[in-house]
Amino acid sequence: MSRGNSSVLTPTDDALIAAIRGGDERALAHLYRLHWPMVSHFVLQNSGTEDDAQDVYQEGVMVFYEKVRDGSLELSCQIKTYLYAVCRRLWLKRLTSKSRFGVRLLDDEEHGVYLNTGAEDDLLAAEEQDRRFATMSEALNHLGEPCRSLLEGFYLLDKSMQDLTAEFGYTNADNAKNQKYKCLVRLKKLFFTHYKEEPI
Amino acid sequence: MMTEADYYALFESYAQGELAGPARANLEARLAADPALALRYADFTEMTGTLRAYGQRQQTRQQLRSIHAAMLAADAPEEVALPGTKLTHTVNPMLRISRTERKLREFWSGHRATVGVAASVAVMAVFATLLALDIWRTNHLPIPAGYQALRREINNLKQNQKALNNTIKRIDVNVPPLAPVSKFSGTGFALTSEGYIVTSYHVIQDADSVLIEGRNHQRYHAEPVYSDVKHDLAILRITDKKFTGFGRLPYAIKSGQADLGERVYTLGYPREDVVYGEGSLSARSGFEGDTAFYQVSIPVNPGNSGGPLMDERGNLIGVVSGRQNDAQSAAFATKSSYLVHLVDSLAAAKSAATYPYHLPRFGQLAGTGRPQQLKKLQDYVFVVKVFE
Repeated sequence: MSRGNSSVLTPTDDALIAAIRGGDERALAHLYRLHWPMVSHFVLQNSGTEDDAQDVYQEGVMVFYEKVRDGSLELSCQIKTYLYAVCRRLWLKRLTSKSRFGVRLLDDEEHGVYLNTGAEDDLLAAEEQDRRFATMSEALNHLGEPCRSLLEGFYLLDKSMQDLTAEFGYTNADNAKNQKYKCLVRLKKLFFTHYKEEPI
Repeated sequence: MMTEADYYALFESYAQGELAGPARANLEARLAADPALALRYADFTEMTGTLRAYGQRQQTRQQLRSIHAAMLAADAPEEVALPGTKLTHTVNPMLRISRTERKLREFWSGHRATVGVAASVAVMAVFATLLALDIWRTNHLPIPAGYQALRREINNLKQNQKALNNTIKRIDVNVPPLAPVSKFSGTGFALTSEGYIVTSYHVIQDADSVLIEGRNHQRYHAEPVYSDVKHDLAILRITDKKFTGFGRLPYAIKSGQADLGERVYTLGYPREDVVYGEGSLSARSGFEGDTAFYQVSIPVNPGNSGGPLMDERGNLIGVVSGRQNDAQSAAFATKSSYLVHLVDSLAAAKSAATYPYHLPRFGQLAGTGRPQQLKKLQDYVFVVKVFE
């Protein structure tokens, strides 16, 4: 992970990021609990509900978390500010799509500086990723059984080929593997036709 | 010939590092040489990568959800734990909100700014409307259409005086300007010999000061003592020190009602000189059926207001108040019985010792001819001049 100026990061931020990167679930839970009141307050203040706040916040944490796991996070501010910026942006998007009128957000004073967090770029990347996932989900839905369960079992749920062979009743692992490759070929067609067609 | 599925098998074992040395080198060489194959490999990695990332995303989402649930659950136990511990008074009310109340709270926290603005706008609109209505009513209500109160506006006099003042100013700045000239005038008459005068309320309405002027150009200052807006009556008292009294009044004030068709007359000051008007009592109710007034067929003009309405025997039966514009010679006068009631209630209410009311009970005009009556009467009829 490259961090340009680690001076703005508090020691706890550093420790948290390191722990999350190491796959520590408690660290993620701690982070989640730490900043939830801020985002919840922000969304509630800007005509959102508790559920909206939860959606937005989980989306925001997801962006942060995936960047951390990738090791591609370039944080130039506190985690708190970064999360605020991401969630603010997300909520603004939802509001504008809901409302015909221009939307003005009430900001908390202490998080007013959100422009230089790099959150915008991260969000664009995350949106692209979202689109990819949406297409994938669509393709999986069109794939039909047993291909879908087979692929989901192997790639999404990390089951071993042996387990899948037993589960789907193939005579041996090679049969299952061959079936999986055939499924992949079909998925590829579905996925790329959908994904490439959509305008960027 | 390899099918696409075969290629995928190859790719997968390559990506997982399961290929043996020569096969591996062979594939790498082919990937470098064959762009179609390289593209196929790129697609394969992108797809499997996306699938894996998608799986991870779903796991993370699940994880976050459980974290959120755990967080809510961590808040919740306090709610369960609290009733068990011995709490006598302070239970946080926030912990016991129902579903509807939570919805309401959310709505409130989301929209309170809007609600506040809307409420203040509504409040301001209400008060502005009330205020405007009130102003409009005070300005417009007292005079119904078709009814004209007969006080005289001395307009030309006012202009003359302004011109005069200007001239004086031009000639000599040291000379003080003349005292302001009265803006309105009406008629008044003596109520008691002690110096009480009756006139119409609308004559002295909004008055700063009131001047009484007799036939022989005697002037007295007077102040309003009591006003009855509803019956258009006002009682003034002469405040001058030099004033000693009117002497015995020649007319009596009738406390009953006069009869229809009775011949009546009035004296008043619609202009500088006293003017006599004669007619008969044509109705025992006034404008729009107001029973406090008579209708009389005397031609009256602005300035007649407050004048006495006398019957043939020289009894005072009313006080001239107004006329109807769209009817021929229909004037209205307040019935004298209301005046008597008014005076009685005033005398009862006030400490009668200071300024007692002694209404004239017996007239001296009965049986004499009209010119003789007028000669005696005109000494007790005055111009009421009002300064604003």
